[in-house]
Parts: sequence; C-alpha cells; structure tokens
Amino acid sequence: MNLDRIKPHFPWLTLLALVCVVGAANPAFFDPLGLLSLVTDVVPLFIMALGMTFAIYIGGIDLSAQQVANMVTVVATVYLSQFGIGVAVICVLAGFLFGAISGFVTTRLYVPSFVSTLAMGFIALSAAKYLSGQRALSMDVTERNTSFGWMFDSTAGVPHQLAIAIALLAFAWFLQTRTSFGRALKAVGSGELAAVASGLNVDRVKILAFAISGAFAGIAGLVFSVKLSGGDANLANGFLLLAIVAVLVGGTPLTGGVGGVINTAIGTLIVMVIRAAMVYLEISATQQQMVFGVVLIVAIALTIDRSKLSGVVK
Amino acid sequence: MTDMSAQTEALGSLLTRDRIARWAPLLVLVALVLLFPFFEFLADLLAGKEHVYLLDSRFFSIRNGARIGIAATPALMVAVGATFIIIMGSIDLSMEGTVSVCAVLFAFAFLGWGGTLASWAWLAIPLALVVGALLGFVNGMIHVRLKIPSFMASLAMGFVGTGLALLLTGGDRLRVEDELFRSLLTVRWLNFPIMCYVALAFLLLAWFIQSHTALGRNFYAVGGGEQLAQSSGLNVARVRVMGFTLAGIFFAVGALLAVGRIGIAETATGNNFMFVSITAVVVGGTALWGGIGGVWNTLVGVLIVNVINNGMVVIGLPSYVQDGVLGALVILAVALSTNRKSVTFVK
Repeated sequence: MNLDRIKPHFPWLTLLALVCVVGAANPAFFDPLGLLSLVTDVVPLFIMALGMTFAIYIGGIDLSAQQVANMVTVVATVYLSQFGIGVAVICVLAGFLFGAISGFVTTRLYVPSFVSTLAMGFIALSAAKYLSGQRALSMDVTERNTSFGWMFDSTAGVPHQLAIAIALLAFAWFLQTRTSFGRALKAVGSGELAAVASGLNVDRVKILAFAISGAFAGIAGLVFSVKLSGGDANLANGFLLLAIVAVLVGGTPLTGGVGGVINTAIGTLIVMVIRAAMVYLEISATQQQMVFGVVLIVAIALTIDRSKLSGVVK
Repeated sequence: MTDMSAQTEALGSLLTRDRIARWAPLLVLVALVLLFPFFEFLADLLAGKEHVYLLDSRFFSIRNGARIGIAATPALMVAVGATFIIIMGSIDLSMEGTVSVCAVLFAFAFLGWGGTLASWAWLAIPLALVVGALLGFVNGMIHVRLKIPSFMASLAMGFVGTGLALLLTGGDRLRVEDELFRSLLTVRWLNFPIMCYVALAFLLLAWFIQSHTALGRNFYAVGGGEQLAQSSGLNVARVRVMGFTLAGIFFAVGALLAVGRIGIAETATGNNFMFVSITAVVVGGTALWGGIGGVWNTLVGVLIVNVINNGMVVIGLPSYVQDGVLGALVILAVALSTNRKSVTFVK
C-alpha cells in the first residue's frame, strides 16, 4: 500500500469513520431530521469554504473572507428595504469587487496574498463599521419575509437553503472541471512558473480566483444575515478558521493544485460532524476553537505537498 | 553643463533607492506629526479662532505625546517580537493568541500568589515570559519540524492560543488592581508613565540582540538567503525556532504591559495586535522578504500607526476610518518596498 495512492481517499474515509464513531456513541445522531438541520445550519460556512477553495487551489489564501461576509451582512440589512431581493446582486458584487482588488494587489503589486487579503479585510471592516454606524442592525421582518422568506421553505423535504448550497456547489464544480478557466486554475495551482511559460495569463486567472472567493464570501454573508435577520460588523466572526479547516481537511492542500470543491463539501461535513460530536461529548463552545486550531495544524501537516516548497519553508 | 551633470550625479548618489527606502518611514512620521496640527490650525482658522501653528495644537503637546506613548507601548513590544521573525523572511500571526494566554495566565498566577508585587506574586511576571517563550517554541517547532509555512502554522497557533485563553477564563475578565503593578501606568517620570521606559529598555535589549549577538546576525543571514546560510554551516532550523521563541517572549512583555495599561486580563486582551503589529513592522520599512530592517524601523512604524490613530481622533475623524487607512497603508508599504526585479511570482 502506497501512502500517496490512498491519500486522495483520506477525506471521505475520515468522514465515514467520524460518522460511525459519533453514531455509535449516540444513535440519535442518525435521526434524519436532526441530520438535515445540522447540514442546513452549516450552509453559510460551506459557501464561504467553497469560495476559499479557489484561493487555496491556486496556492494562495483568502484571510478577508470573514470580514467581507461581515460587511455584506451590513450591506444586506441596510439596503434590503430599498432594493428587495435585488440586494443579493449588490452583495455578490461587493464581495467580487473586494476579492478582485485583493487579487490585483497580490498579482500586480506583488503583495503576498495573506497580507493583501488581511489588509483588504480591514478595509472591509472599516466599510462595515461605516455603513452600520457601529451598531448591530436588524432587518424589517416583513421585508425579509417577502424577499427572502422562500429560503426557509423546503421542497420535497429539501430545505431551500440546502438547495442553494447544492446549486452553488454544482456551479463551482462546473467552473472547476468543465471550463478553460478551471483548467487554468489547475495549471496555476500545480506550477505557476510552468503556467506562465505556457503562455497562460496567470495574473488574470489569479485575480478571478480571488474575486470568486470574495463573491462566495458575499453570498455566505447574505445567507447568514437573512438567517439571523440582521447585520453587524462582527456577525460572521469565527467563520474564517472553520472555512480554512473545511478546505484543508477536505484534501485541498495549502500548496494548491490538488483537491477542489467536492473535497470542500466533504471537508465541511467533517467540520459539521466534529462540531456535533463535541456537543454530544459535552465539550463546551469555548473549547471548540482550540480543538479546531489543532485539527487545522494536523490537516495542514498531512496534506501539504512539501516537494512544492522547493526546500525552503518560510 | 558639466557642472550640472556633476550636480545631478552628486544628488543621484545622495538619493539612491536604498537611501530613500531607508529614511522614508521616518520622513512619513515627521510629515504626519506636522500634518495633524496643520489640520487643527485650519479648523480653528476657519472657525475664526486664534491659533498659533504647533504651539496651540492639542495633538502636538506633551500630554498627547504621553497618550500616544501609552497606546503604543504594548503594540511596540509585540511588533518588536514580530520584527525578528520578519527579518528571517517568515511571518508570525500568532500574537493575538499568545498575548491573550500570557495575559490570562499572568493574571491567574498574580492573583493566586498574593495579588501584589510586594509578595511572591511577582513570580507571575517571569511565569508569563516563560509561557510566551514556550508558545513561541511550539510555534517554531510546528513550522520547522512539520515543514508548514510560517503564516499558516502561526495563524493556527494563534487560533489555538485564543481558544486556550477562552478555555482558561471561560469568558470572564480578571482584574489586576495591585497599585504597585498599576504604577506602570500611574507613576510618571518626566510626564511619561513607567511603562514607556520599560518598553524603551526592552527595545534597547532587542536592538542589542539584533546587532550584537550571533543569534541576531543569524536572523539576517537566514532572511538574506536561507540556502546560502544553510550551506555556510548555519543550523537554520535552530535559528528559526529560537527566533519564534524570542518573539514569544516579546509578545509576553506586550501582554504584561497591556494588562498594566488597562488593569484587566481577558481573552480579548490580544485583539487587534496581529494587524497593528504587522502593519507597524512593514510600514517601518522592514521588508516582508526578509534580511532588511530592524527594531528601530519597527519603533518608527509603531509610532506612525499610533500617530495616525491618535491624530484622526484629534481632528475628529470617526474611529472606523482607521482600520481602512491602516489596510491601505500596509498594501502601499509592502508594494513600495518590493524590488520587482527580484521577485518572480507571489502566492
């Protein structure tokens, strides 16, 4: 048995093992309704992780995702009454714009993505505080219900939030596997120098990858703010760690080029099961962050492709 | 004509790229210090009040200088720690977690062992430094032994640290009200509180380590060219781990000063240190690529950040603008400090 050959199967095997362990410890975990609500709860996180996958797939990172989502919760709340459901377009565009600027700063100004996205995150925070007047805002309930009430319904037992997540996953999967942009992403993630040498417009691919990450963070923020019926510059805090964990335990390494959006779906489910397990094991919410921090370190150590780090790890 | 060209040549040799890059942060700081009083001057002029530039300024006063000093000292210590790491070409994003853990453990020990510096509770201070060193050591080991890029290893360690602090406190605040310890803030020499002098002492220590010890020179060697350092027989892994350990100690000093400043230790004690300190280091002129800069640059950088924060409040700009301004400043500083000819691509 060769480790490299079973490595791609790690994520779903982990998920399966975790589900078995948690299910054995607490058979109530398999209750279909309970499971469905667990999966529905994780939808905003999943959407953010889905976008983050693009940034990590090209070997970068998007540390602004959480702040962009925060900003969008405020944007959605402030402009809901004015634009109704059209506010969704503004939210996605705002996220796309922030991501694109991060990408531009990374590729054209040569600022490493962890710094450029960190900085853009603070600009987003500033915008969120400005728009919200540094208060927690809440949506008008009737306006929310007329525009976004459908999100809480379900068709044939499938909650619409889950349907949104699946549709976005399908879209991301299509982008990744069925478009020339997707192949370009793979080329950049696998070896940027080779991609440049083969005539690819690498900068454009990278800018677009960060922009997609931002747009998905925007959608995540929108869904989250509709769920909580409000907006605040700190509403989505805590998402960043979990989104990065979801991408990495799903099997998209920090070095990029391998894995993808389906992996992130599995990774998000792993995060969900770990969270559920902690609830059953009566590990309090205060301890969860530490646990996920350790999970993150283990996941990076297991997945990272050290041959790509060219001997020097900075 | 020859005269002219000789003059431009002389000017050219005076204004080399390196020299401009070296002094630019200090010039920016001076410009900012002169700019904010000018805004005050304009405001009073428009309001028809009498105002002598600089002399009547609320910003440009000793009292406000002390205020900036107090706000800047904890961040200065954290940023000095980060400087060593950035000189090596690595990055440390774990400071928020480390500062919180050190602050909280310090407060627990301090309160548990007597609650005043006049008792055995003083031992809580070395304890906090040891805890900081330990966290930095673990951070360095994860980075070096598991071969994880430092930004991710330290980011994850930061999350673990914040989680640990939350676990220890359960979300509570610990009050450290010992008068002797709080004299860090309350007792002033020459208008500046003791904490500023403590920070100055540690800054000199950091400068000594940086310039006059083998370890300090090794940081530059690693940052200037890791492969070269390795092949000339330097144990790069060891230097890196020691760098992160040293940074952890300075984070702990920052934590102690932060507790001394507000008298409270909690999980949120570490909040904002990450962005402020990284901003300060790069704005001060220490290059993210390593090998260039040092603790004096960081002092200038911390002052720039705090002068902006303070000045914006004085001239009446809302506080939320600061985050955005700092964000733009970081991008600008890193972009300007990058020599594009030597960089092939950026992740």
